[in-house]
Amino acid sequence: MYNLFIFIRKHGSVILFILLEILCLIMIVYSLPYQNRRMVSFSNRVAGGFNRTTSNWSDYLHLKSENESLAEQNALLLKQLGCDEVEADTVYYDDVFSYIPAHVVNNSIYNLNNYIVIDKGSIDGIGPDMGVICEKGVVGKVVNVSKHFASVMSLLNSYSVISCRFVDNQYVANVVWDNQNYRYGLVKDIPSHLIINKGDTLVTSGFSNSFPADVLVGTIEDSKDADNEMFSTAKMKFTTNFSTLRHVFVVKNNYKSEIDSLCITH
Amino acid sequence: MYNTLIRNILRFVILLIVQVLAFDNLHLANYIHLNIYVLFVLLLPFDTPQWRLMIDGFLIGMAVDIFNGTPGLHAAATVFMAFIRPFIIGITTRKSDLEGKNAPTITEMGLQWFMIYGLLLILLHNLVYFWLEAFSIKLLGIVLIETLLSSIVSLLIIILIIYVFKPVKK
Repeated sequence: MYNLFIFIRKHGSVILFILLEILCLIMIVYSLPYQNRRMVSFSNRVAGGFNRTTSNWSDYLHLKSENESLAEQNALLLKQLGCDEVEADTVYYDDVFSYIPAHVVNNSIYNLNNYIVIDKGSIDGIGPDMGVICEKGVVGKVVNVSKHFASVMSLLNSYSVISCRFVDNQYVANVVWDNQNYRYGLVKDIPSHLIINKGDTLVTSGFSNSFPADVLVGTIEDSKDADNEMFSTAKMKFTTNFSTLRHVFVVKNNYKSEIDSLCITH
Repeated sequence: MYNTLIRNILRFVILLIVQVLAFDNLHLANYIHLNIYVLFVLLLPFDTPQWRLMIDGFLIGMAVDIFNGTPGLHAAATVFMAFIRPFIIGITTRKSDLEGKNAPTITEMGLQWFMIYGLLLILLHNLVYFWLEAFSIKLLGIVLIETLLSSIVSLLIIILIIYVFKPVKK
């Protein structure tokens, strides 16, 4: 016992160092996406209110550009509806998907794995795996929900994969991010025989339950390199500008449970 | 004694606020993320025991983590930096240099020494931080570039902050 005290006295700081680092590593590992979402939810509770306050202040700086983009969006929506009067409601429906408007309270674009925090949570009907879009295109997927906030894994994340389709020829490919520039992503799994040109548009395929079909994802920026005989990869520019993201819509699939129940293999 | 304690608590709070409100939202080029709060650990007095350094480092790292939603990330890097600090002081000074000195500040130790001391510790902190953030050996190239660029810019800004807030000599 005495020897133990001597040992602790002698190497106390090394032991403390190892203990603290293990504690930190446990927290990091547990907060990795898809492994444990609890810590993020804790952080959401503590920091969510704080971020909302700072976001309230910084919003004043963006009022002008925000107004313009909202007006643009309104015009687009009115055009889609083909009528001049829209029933005032915060939630509007098409058959399968409903859209819940939300406000970005925290956003990162320069990390290797980026997350967005929005000010709608489980009481607003938001759940994990719902898609998030903005007026310009796809934003990401909800990964974690607390009562009043939700964190969204943006396309700018190593874990993010979005199934999309070329508008011109209906071929399907996957969009991922290469951890470099927040404006560009990579299109993977393009069939090698496909001829693609700069400016070709990619939209969501509608094969996942999270996104409706035909939401803009990006445009091809650079010609493809062949990975192997079957597939090739191309550089793509996102239509969504992640650095100025303010208003987003969470996509709720009204038939998600029904579709999911069909997908269970027997 | 109390003077030092109060000054350190104030430094903790101010650096935390500045880090969370300003520097976490400020991004230069693509690879530079500035961690200015490490200045708190850099400036703790020479006679602070190693375990206190680590506890203090853990506290400020964890505080930054909570506001960033990255539990453990900043804390792990700052604890590592606090653990290594006595060794860095050991290899950059002689025993006789430290007599009558209170804290590793520019005023007491000179600019040249502080730049070497600061750069070494910030490099180590950023290396751990960016590597843990990437959490993969695949991205080693990006991690090294990020570490190098961010460390140099951080050090320059830290020295700037020190000169701006330097107490006026009586």
